[in-house]
Amino acid sequence: MESTENASVQPPADTELHRRLVYGDESALAEAYAAYGGLVRAVAVRVTRSPGAAEDVAQEVFAQLWSRPYAFDARRGSLRTWLSLLAHRRAVDYVRSEERHRKDARADDSALHAIPEPGPGPDETVVDRERSLLLHTALAELPPHQREVVHLAYFAGRTYRQAAVELGIPEGTAKTRLRTALRTLAETLADPPDPALERGA
Amino acid sequence: MTTEHDDVRNLLAAWAFGALDPTERHTVPQHLAECEACATEAERLHETVRLLDNPALAPTPAPEPPPGSAPVPAPDPAPGPGPERGPAPGSGPAPEPAPGSAPAPEPAPEPASGSGPAPDPGGAARRPAAGVLAEPGPAGAARRPAADILAAARRTRPASPRVAVHAVPYAAAVAGLRALLPEMVGRWSTPVVHDWDVHATVAHLLAADEHLARLVGLAPRVPPSRLPADLSWTDAWERRTADVIAHEHGRAPEETVADWAAQADGLLAVPEAHDPERAARAVELMGLRLPVADHYLGRAFETWMHTDDIGRALGLVVPPPPERHLWQLVRLAVRVLGIALGPTAPPVLLSVTGGEEWVLGAEGEPVRAELALDAYDFCLLVGGRHDPGTVPANATGDAAAVRNVLERAASLAWL
Repeated sequence: MESTENASVQPPADTELHRRLVYGDESALAEAYAAYGGLVRAVAVRVTRSPGAAEDVAQEVFAQLWSRPYAFDARRGSLRTWLSLLAHRRAVDYVRSEERHRKDARADDSALHAIPEPGPGPDETVVDRERSLLLHTALAELPPHQREVVHLAYFAGRTYRQAAVELGIPEGTAKTRLRTALRTLAETLADPPDPALERGA
Repeated sequence: MTTEHDDVRNLLAAWAFGALDPTERHTVPQHLAECEACATEAERLHETVRLLDNPALAPTPAPEPPPGSAPVPAPDPAPGPGPERGPAPGSGPAPEPAPGSAPAPEPAPEPASGSGPAPDPGGAARRPAAGVLAEPGPAGAARRPAADILAAARRTRPASPRVAVHAVPYAAAVAGLRALLPEMVGRWSTPVVHDWDVHATVAHLLAADEHLARLVGLAPRVPPSRLPADLSWTDAWERRTADVIAHEHGRAPEETVADWAAQADGLLAVPEAHDPERAARAVELMGLRLPVADHYLGRAFETWMHTDDIGRALGLVVPPPPERHLWQLVRLAVRVLGIALGPTAPPVLLSVTGGEEWVLGAEGEPVRAELALDAYDFCLLVGGRHDPGTVPANATGDAAAVRNVLERAASLAWL
């Protein structure tokens, strides 16, 4: 069925919220947080697997929205998608820097284990985690048009038809973009840059 | 057959993401059971999504949302396009996204709800619905209170301070220019208006605010200019701006910004910004004798106009001030325009869309023409950013009387 209930594609609401953010209205920030805080956290948790890290990411994302409202441009997409993309990027950065720290710590043999490992972490889990990070890194680098459809479908739980309506693109295009995106991601796995990962494949 | 095959082929990614419509969900597993090529592809895509899902965590069943987690006000206070399901899947304490409210399809349900005897992928309908995503992880890590997250954000840029009604538009305009500052970094020499670059435009605001600042007892932040006493206010104004710009061009843009911001904060801190009675005192500024309260509006107007100028120069759309503020500016502009037209001009009924009407010009004479303008356009006209010949306006009646009003408005040289 056509999800016509989503037909109001780019509601003026984003524009109005942005205007209030620009003019320093704190209540606009609180509204943005109430509306999208959950999504931002969900995206971050999915990547970092750490609720604590997700809180940090959420804090950074909303600090950025407040301190640099012009980084969001309502002409180029919805606030929802923008926040989702930003949360994802920040979360990937977070995990990468954690990985670096972990490796450094191991190399130094200095016991700087600030980052609690989630779970016991048998080999398979470690490999999966690295592959997951690889995928999320690749996802963060997809062309914007593909990325936004993936975000709507994957993180915001939209069907591809709803995503098409929200983005104002034909359904076929949404389908194709999802397909191209997911294939690109799948190829990342098939051809991992790090030979150590191949074992797990 | 080929068409069904192609159709399903195109749906596989959406299926793997759990992004099919309920109506389509059955077609995929049915086909996968018959088509090995598609089944292989499906398995590959499915595995990719599984890894995206970060299986390291997956086994943990989603716990109850932490009790006392951030209170979530109205489900959709802000943007949410229409009655879709909640704006933030999983934002609230609600474990399910937007329960019954929307007929919208449930979020990312299992792609092929187990019905597919296909090789396998369909069966492994795994991804938790988006709503559950919010609360993964072992029950640990308490959700940080919204107040903390918001407070941390607010430390990155001051909000508009609370001031009396007449100073609110200026406070907002100052916040608006502050919001634009990060975009100016590295682009200070971009040309803006007149022969000013971005840096000079901020320096001009520093000079322009200085006159009111002095009237309310704030010390100037730039060494005084030596100006002959008999200069007209416009000449004095221009000379001072030129001096300040020259002075500031010898400093780092950040220093200019810091002085502008400190002076603006000062203007918003003095009693005149908080006490309507103290702001009722009439003083002469820019050749106009007006209550201090109105001069605050003048500062708001000019700050906004130049912020808009800078935005254009940088390719950014500066939104118009909030509606309420816009109307405060319109009313002041109409009053100033009325004074400028004088008591003998042919009367024109001016109406600003969505708001009020005024008769400008001679009293007691029949109205010669009617002129309707949008509030935003009217402000741009008075600010000298619209040409009187091309400003979007509806006019009926005596064309000369209308032209007189438009030209006078544009020539206020208000800013």
